[in-house]
Amino acid sequence: MASFATVCRLSARLTAKQVRQDATARGFRTSAKCLAAQNFTMPALSPTMTEGNIAKWSVKEGDSFTAGDVLLEVETDKASMDVEAQDDGIMAKIFLGDGSKGIQVGTRIGVLAESGDDLSSLEIPAEEGPAKPSPKQEASKSEPQAEAPKPSESKSSAAPSRQPSESVEKQTYPLLPSVEHLMHENGLDASAIEKMTPTGPNNRLLKGDVLAYLGSVSAGYPAELSNRIEKLSHLDLSNIKLAAPAPKPAAKAAPIPESIPQDVDIAVPISMKAVVEVQKRIQSSLGVFMPLSTFIARATDVANDDLPRSRNYKPTAEELFNQVLGLDKVASTNGTRGSFLPQITALPGASPVASLAKAPTKKVDVIDFLSGKSKSSASSFTAKPVPGMSASINIFSVKVPKGDEKRANAFLQRVKTVLEGEPGRLVL
Amino acid sequence: MLRSLQLPRAATARSAFKQSSLPSVIAPRLRRSYATESEEKDLVIIGGGVAGYVAAIKAGQEGLKVTCIEKRGTLGGTCLNVGCIPSKALLNNSHLYHQILHDTKNRGIEVGDVKINLEQLMKSKDTAVSGLTKGVEFLFKKNNVEYIKGTASFAGEHEITVNLTEGGEKTVVGKNIIIATGSEATPFPGLEIDEKRIITSTGAIALTKVPESMVVIGGGIIGLEMGSVWSRLGSKVTVVEFLGQIGGPGMDAEVAKAAQKVLKKQGIDFKLSTKVMGGDASGEKVKLQVEAAKGGKEETLDADVVLVAIGRRPYTAGLGLENIGLETDDKGRLVIDSEYRTKIPHIRVIGDCTFGPMLAHKAEEEGVAVVEYIKKGYGHVNYGAIPSVMYTHPEVAWVGQNEQEVKASGVKYKVGNFPFTANSRAKTNLDTEGFVKIIADAETDRILGVHIIGASAGELIAEGTLAIEYGASSEDVGRTSHAHPTLSEAFKEAAMATYGKAIHF
Ligand SMILES: Cc1cc2nc3c(=O)[nH]c(=O)nc-3n(C[C@H](O)[C@H](O)[C@H](O)COP(=O)(O)OP(=O)(O)OC[C@H]3O[C@@H](n4cnc5c(N)ncnc54)[C@H](O)[C@@H]3O)c2cc1C
Repeated sequence: MASFATVCRLSARLTAKQVRQDATARGFRTSAKCLAAQNFTMPALSPTMTEGNIAKWSVKEGDSFTAGDVLLEVETDKASMDVEAQDDGIMAKIFLGDGSKGIQVGTRIGVLAESGDDLSSLEIPAEEGPAKPSPKQEASKSEPQAEAPKPSESKSSAAPSRQPSESVEKQTYPLLPSVEHLMHENGLDASAIEKMTPTGPNNRLLKGDVLAYLGSVSAGYPAELSNRIEKLSHLDLSNIKLAAPAPKPAAKAAPIPESIPQDVDIAVPISMKAVVEVQKRIQSSLGVFMPLSTFIARATDVANDDLPRSRNYKPTAEELFNQVLGLDKVASTNGTRGSFLPQITALPGASPVASLAKAPTKKVDVIDFLSGKSKSSASSFTAKPVPGMSASINIFSVKVPKGDEKRANAFLQRVKTVLEGEPGRLVL
Repeated sequence: MLRSLQLPRAATARSAFKQSSLPSVIAPRLRRSYATESEEKDLVIIGGGVAGYVAAIKAGQEGLKVTCIEKRGTLGGTCLNVGCIPSKALLNNSHLYHQILHDTKNRGIEVGDVKINLEQLMKSKDTAVSGLTKGVEFLFKKNNVEYIKGTASFAGEHEITVNLTEGGEKTVVGKNIIIATGSEATPFPGLEIDEKRIITSTGAIALTKVPESMVVIGGGIIGLEMGSVWSRLGSKVTVVEFLGQIGGPGMDAEVAKAAQKVLKKQGIDFKLSTKVMGGDASGEKVKLQVEAAKGGKEETLDADVVLVAIGRRPYTAGLGLENIGLETDDKGRLVIDSEYRTKIPHIRVIGDCTFGPMLAHKAEEEGVAVVEYIKKGYGHVNYGAIPSVMYTHPEVAWVGQNEQEVKASGVKYKVGNFPFTANSRAKTNLDTEGFVKIIADAETDRILGVHIIGASAGELIAEGTLAIEYGASSEDVGRTSHAHPTLSEAFKEAAMATYGKAIHF
């Protein structure tokens, strides 16, 4: 935790803006704040333009915008164009609304504040524009009023007309219980509030402010305390000690602790004996030769149906919602169709089927395969052996991303059941 | 725009602002463009922890095109997966067990055989975790946040390379980028973490059997919470702390002392002002050499499991900071300004990997504020009103300054204290440990800090946070009605004791 004990100093990194914000936050009676607002005048969109119409504002009073945002659309007799903000800021005030016509270049159409400015305490600058508004601009009726709600009715109307010193924001919310109590106890009426200096967050009038007004604590103390507390409300970014620059990364950067999942091979040994038998029987009884690939293709098709979901499956929003509510456990059919295509290799040493097969070149760990255990594929596992098929045991394998092992296993087990158990059904 | 990358952005932005009285220079609408324009997002967030996911959802709500990259496989980061949530699940259930075991007879409840089924205890924790992480994923979908599973690293100031979890690589381009990569447990030099015998909190929420003995290095919040869990489940727990008080530097000293007393009564041993010199895990038991911090007495502690809980440090490994020249400070925190910007102004940092307390709700506040800065140019987090809670039993919670800090600042202050032994609800609950302590400015009565130790301190502290946020005086709280009989009355009475006198004490 940042140490609260150290008095926070503004860091070098704190910007001018920050400093000024602090100033407004505490110096209620300074006039520094009027620096912030800037008149926004009708721009000249071309060297010859002298007047234009406001087609439409894209921002409302109180809206923040960033550099590049379109503020409004301006029409001239030649064209209409978007006016973009050159920097970040807030639309403090709009004087001429949508549909205002014939506005001279340089006429004030609004007031801009800086990002972070508190509109309620913003001083609206006087108009310095050259041109008197031309009479034609009445055209806009009173539309803008409806379009652009004022950020805060009471506050913004109070702000410009603020008296030079000692006067305060109107306290519009219910007074704090302690404040109310002190006022009654001391026979103060509402007019006294106007003479007090609020120091609470957002200019709230605090118990200490009433006490200061009554003279039981020194006049400046509540503001001083507020300052102190205000400072605690910011991260302490002072005295940052930079780490020594890291040595240029050699070859590889620091290893990532959690390993990145790799693809996994899932393999199951499957005997083709039953299939070869059925194949022979069909040929001798019907005179039709069914290639082994047909059996396998059909088995694959059947086995791909309604497989358990991948752990990597990305559920839809609705499914997630059901999961959150626990509804997924109620619905029964949760499987999806797979699209697995097994890679088939004969076990080394097995007798190849007719002329088809070349013995695979890849060394396989028979035990791993026989136990159906998954095996992380090494990165050197690129050159797949030429698929060959044996009449007895073959290895059916699929390569899947981590998380899909269960799904792949279910698939292969089904292929196995169908091919070893009842291959005849595949051709019925 | 005339913007030098070396200067803090606001400063330059401001000077540009001054000179050009804003949009008096007009440009027909132009979009900035990068080579792979189709891929460009308004905002790319690295890390789907509390800081990152909250920012992502907020950005989605604000209509930004947003992508969040997370490598863990699930959202929610440390907090949801291995932090706040699983630890609280274990704390709650182990407390229930402990209470059934030791605190039923006098209440008139007779219980037969009580046993722990550790596997089920862990499963129930996992259910809580997965429900919540899926909930976040649902919120992403709902708010149009693109979620990429993979590890991100900077290829350029706008380009991020993602090593996809499902294999392959992808480049994501962001107009704005937020780094929210969180933190990791600080390792103890010389002790190699295996998460089985020498563990961090991550191992401590997933032990498969109750160890006979456990030494916790570090008496901070995480150490005391996990120590409590295993102590309740039957381990002999010893906490070794370098400082003279438990609870870390934020905890009020008076509260810390009270907490230590209660935890000791529950069976946890404490060795304060004690330094761990080294350890040896080669034998059947782990052996730790400890020594009094001020020199002298040496001792060897034996333990089946050693929990290293000496703090957390920012995690930025593999992020490729060096590729874009981003700086960290001597503690590894990414350097930011008051609007979370790095020296590359469109890259911002929030959460545990930068400054401020490492707390989930702090990360969450920042997640909202940073998006507001990006979208509206103004955001706000009040770092003076962020509560801290330790979820032991009784709980400890505080907000604002503690008495040591107020004293050091030189402000004159008053303290109001109200014990739960005098609170009717605590009495009826037969759970009267602890007190509420309020510190207020002596002259204005404005509340400076609230410190609670007691059964529901973590819930009660919300009132203190609100009071500080609104600049309330203790009298404001004392004049506000609180329901009877509730623990919250103790809060009100402590407030009354601060500016006047409590009624019931
Ligand atoms: C045991 C424990 C208990 C806690 N209890 C509480 C508590 O009760 N209350 C509380 O307020 N706080 C608690 N905390 C602290 C809380 O968990 C953190 O403050 C919070 O998680 C910080 O959120 P974050 O988003 O900044 O970081 P994290 O939650 O750490 O999230 C960062 C995420 O970014 C991901 N990431 C990192 N690098 C990359 C990369 N290169 N590419 C893609 N993804 C990446 C990580 O996988 C991680 O998921 C606890 C912490 C622990 C360890």
